Amino acid sequence: MAVPNQFSAPVAEYGGDEVSALVLDPGYSTVRAGFAGEDVPKSVVPSHYGLLSSGEKLYGENAVHNPLAKMEIKSPYTSDGIVEDWETATKIWEWSITSRLTGQSENKRNGYVGDKNGNGDGDVDMEAAEAVEEEEKPMGDAPLLMSEPGWAQGKLREKSLEVAMEEWGSPAFYLARTGVLSAFSMGKSTALVIDIGASTTTVTPIVDGMALRKGIQKSPLAGNFVSNQLRLIFQQSPTPVPLVPHYMVQSKTPVDAGVPSAATYKKFETPPTDSFRHFEEERVLTEFKESVVQTWEGPGPLAQSEEHVKNFPGRPFEMPDGWNQVFGVERYKAVEGLFDAKAAIADAESPAPRQDQCIVELVRASLNAVDVDIRANLLANVVVVGGSSLLVGLNRRILNQLEAAFPGPKVRLSASQNTVERKYASWIGGSILGSLGAFHQMWISKREYEEHGTSIVDKRCK
Amino acid sequence: MAPFKDEQIMIIAPGSQTTLAQLGLPESFTPARFRMRSRMFPASKEGEWEPYKVRRKDKQPGEYDTTSGNELEDDIAYEEDPVSEEGAVWPMAEGRITNWPCFFALLTHIYNALNPTFHTPILLVAQPCWTARDHERLTEFFFEKFKMPAFALIDSATATCYAYGVPTATVVDVGLGKADITAVLDFIVHDHGRIIALPKCGGEAMTQRLLELLNAKKFTREMCEQLKKSSICEILPPGVPLPGTAGAESEEVTNPAAAASTGASASGPGHRIAGGAMGDVPLGPGPGTEVGDGKLDEDNEGVLDVASIVTSGNMAEILAKKEREKAEKAASRKKGADAAAAQAKQIKLPNSRKEKATFMYEDHALLDTLKGMNLSDEKMAEAQATLDEGAGKKADAPAESTVEPTSAIEPTTATAFPVAAKTGPIRREIEVGTERFQAASGGILEKIADGIHRTISAVENVNRRSELWESLIILGNGSKTRGFKEALMATIQTKYVISPSSATMFTSELPSNLSTPAGTGANTPQPQLGPHGVGGPGTGTGVNPLLLAATTAQNPHLQPQPPQSNGMSTPGGPPSLHQPPNMHSSHGQTPTTVRMVKVPEYFPEWKEAGYDEAAFLGAQTAAKVLFIVDQGVSKGFMTRSDYNDEGPRGISDYSM
Repeated sequence: MAVPNQFSAPVAEYGGDEVSALVLDPGYSTVRAGFAGEDVPKSVVPSHYGLLSSGEKLYGENAVHNPLAKMEIKSPYTSDGIVEDWETATKIWEWSITSRLTGQSENKRNGYVGDKNGNGDGDVDMEAAEAVEEEEKPMGDAPLLMSEPGWAQGKLREKSLEVAMEEWGSPAFYLARTGVLSAFSMGKSTALVIDIGASTTTVTPIVDGMALRKGIQKSPLAGNFVSNQLRLIFQQSPTPVPLVPHYMVQSKTPVDAGVPSAATYKKFETPPTDSFRHFEEERVLTEFKESVVQTWEGPGPLAQSEEHVKNFPGRPFEMPDGWNQVFGVERYKAVEGLFDAKAAIADAESPAPRQDQCIVELVRASLNAVDVDIRANLLANVVVVGGSSLLVGLNRRILNQLEAAFPGPKVRLSASQNTVERKYASWIGGSILGSLGAFHQMWISKREYEEHGTSIVDKRCK
Repeated sequence: MAPFKDEQIMIIAPGSQTTLAQLGLPESFTPARFRMRSRMFPASKEGEWEPYKVRRKDKQPGEYDTTSGNELEDDIAYEEDPVSEEGAVWPMAEGRITNWPCFFALLTHIYNALNPTFHTPILLVAQPCWTARDHERLTEFFFEKFKMPAFALIDSATATCYAYGVPTATVVDVGLGKADITAVLDFIVHDHGRIIALPKCGGEAMTQRLLELLNAKKFTREMCEQLKKSSICEILPPGVPLPGTAGAESEEVTNPAAAASTGASASGPGHRIAGGAMGDVPLGPGPGTEVGDGKLDEDNEGVLDVASIVTSGNMAEILAKKEREKAEKAASRKKGADAAAAQAKQIKLPNSRKEKATFMYEDHALLDTLKGMNLSDEKMAEAQATLDEGAGKKADAPAESTVEPTSAIEPTTATAFPVAAKTGPIRREIEVGTERFQAASGGILEKIADGIHRTISAVENVNRRSELWESLIILGNGSKTRGFKEALMATIQTKYVISPSSATMFTSELPSNLSTPAGTGANTPQPQLGPHGVGGPGTGTGVNPLLLAATTAQNPHLQPQPPQSNGMSTPGGPPSLHQPPNMHSSHGQTPTTVRMVKVPEYFPEWKEAGYDEAAFLGAQTAAKVLFIVDQGVSKGFMTRSDYNDEGPRGISDYSM
């Protein structure tokens, strides 16, 4: 290659100082990607994708919100947050990086830099062929730091390494636990991280930067659960609440509270699929969660003080079709199931959760699994992160319940004031880790991978 | 390094269709002096590019060809054609750079054309969809190729905010093939949820829509393009009936004059409605007295594609026919001059009420065909003069601007040069019906409105959202079409604005309402401090109990009674647990109101030209601040020594 490539040099010689690592933090709802050392992820793309009837898959924000006929909205994850469809997941992750960060590199060498070497000579030697192959790999020029949920099992981890090395051509790779990264983002190396995401709530005990595997607890009571609770509340309300997503409405007309909407609806030749509607409904529910839903702060369960809560002023909400109402005590009920399984609303399709899936029980189980000596230290460093932890009043409730459950040691809870830092905590932790000088000693280089195979991931990324 | 001076600064703003550039900052900022179509032509040698179409021309013996380029053989000459776009390569699509060598050639051409000094810093306005790697590549290219002392990148959304002088805004940039929607908070682009290159939401989508509608009437793409740019093409807000349809019929009938004179040029000076006020580029008024005879319908029947007739060999015929028509027209015009003038006064009907209107079409295809036929200059001029229906109007200055010249020939329009008379466009009048109001009927307004909603909903800072809704900036040449902005605003209004309802009137949160009155908007009236006001500041609501009783009587299940003091935000506890004041304090839905940012008016030239390219104005402001005022103190640009130290990757620390 005519242009000196820094990766043609031996691995040991290339320092991460010039090259900022890529940090990839995939989640159930969004994939976060960016360069290490930056304070927010540059690229946040939905983890869902559109599947056309032709089999074509569409990625990215613009595509998945476009009401196309016969487009199914799918997720490569199972509902409890485990990657099921690796092929698509890989593509979505890749897309999150190439669309905003590195760009497609197909004709990179045709540009002004490389014109000197491409022309003329007919014989294609092996080296050039290899170089071309290398060039086709979208992320071939920066080490990759990827996050994984704490409860990920061996096979899944090996798969991540394989994808990074084989498909993306990463020169170096490291896999870090989201819990650890979240703790880093709060500047802690010892912490009990409660990560409330979209599909799962995870509790991870961390001591000196190491996640204690046996103490990791997960439960499906998280953001999607709250959304489902809202759906049930809407359905079971005396006057059912119409959940009509924006794309179906042509124009709305103001109506009185509780009065059926008088909107004109959009006509579709072929209406978009149910999965698309469900996905768009989530947008409305997110707005509802942001502007109406609130957590009863406790200390006791909501059931004990429901009469009292009923006196609180309600909050209005207007649906995309103009229907509006003031929500009183209902807005506290949606979150209550995270803490009190008995209070969760259930129907035939969505059975009530078990009490041991509730947040405080997860913490209890996690602490019981770790050494007695460190429990007090962990309780003094509780960190709450995750997009769903932004529900109003949630942190206070967690603190109140933890204080009630663990009266002995002092419980200290920290959560960032900054919504962005809370939402993208694990990415930010990755950005910090990836920009440290010590990161060079941690990663698995391409050569090591070639020597040891995928099994190296369990040895290096603990 | 010697400090930079105003006249040394160079700004380049590449776009998918038009690239703007300027060398030197004038005292009062003006629209870009250098406008160039973003395309290059592959030169005969592979890998090289020409800024103009080079056409092989057979030289007439004995004739001296002034326009010939590089002569290779005795009887073959090459002619540069500044208007034609045949075979052009457009290196950008939807903002993305798709052909790097061509793009670099374009930049080089611009650089050479402006011919800056060596001590010239360059500010490049970056498209939102350029990736970090793209930035690095451009940085590398600029430093290696031009060896300039300093380089900076500014995001077009940030630049727009600079232009408008607002720190927080939602920038909706409607381009050719795409729209970008960006939430900017305190001059910082909010990356998450930014709608980058929303496909099929630009000017091209509207042209295609027109083409779809008018295809049956033998309109070509180029005709639709020019129709879109003409002042008779208008986007009506949702709910406004098309003229000629049931809703508008009655008015049509009461105006027989209008029906009789549908051929009249549509854009009388009084017909510009709000367009001018909104900062649209003033589309010049057409001469109202020009037409008025019933001939036009016949003219246009079936002969829209003159070019094909010309090529098929019927040229002489059509020239003769045209000649005849012109003469007739001139006669009838003379005759009916007084009548027409009187009529013109009557028919000052706004464009949106007319069922039909005409516009001037500049037939480049025809011109290209003529050129391709190797006519002698003389014959060429003759044919042109005959075919050019607009020729008679050339004397009228306003007629010139009825249709914006689509072939923006740099740096000013071709008419400035004597050559232009020869290569000037051939113009014809074309009549269109109500299709001209349906350019946006393909759903682009809804798509953009939805994009705005998504962008703003992605802002984590919930109580800044209403601020963003109240500071929309709609710009970009795609939004130039008459009525586009108003129609977009109306779409948002009908679909997204939360109306104050009977129930929402009486609920508000006292503390947040006081801290951010704008954030809560119409939903939450100011707390009433009258004799009936309940409780103190801790009650969490400022509701008049009488009104409250009235509401709850209608909605018995609500029963909000005077709240307890420990209601909303309990004081105390570790500080980290407080909901910070910037989180959920307004805790309401958005938007309650939608507004556009007022256009700045301190640059008269910009005011005149319109603010569709305001990003360039912002770049001028930014360049002044970065290179002159700040001089690199706050690392606003990358110097050559920075580049030497850090390489292209360093640009991420400098770009804005």
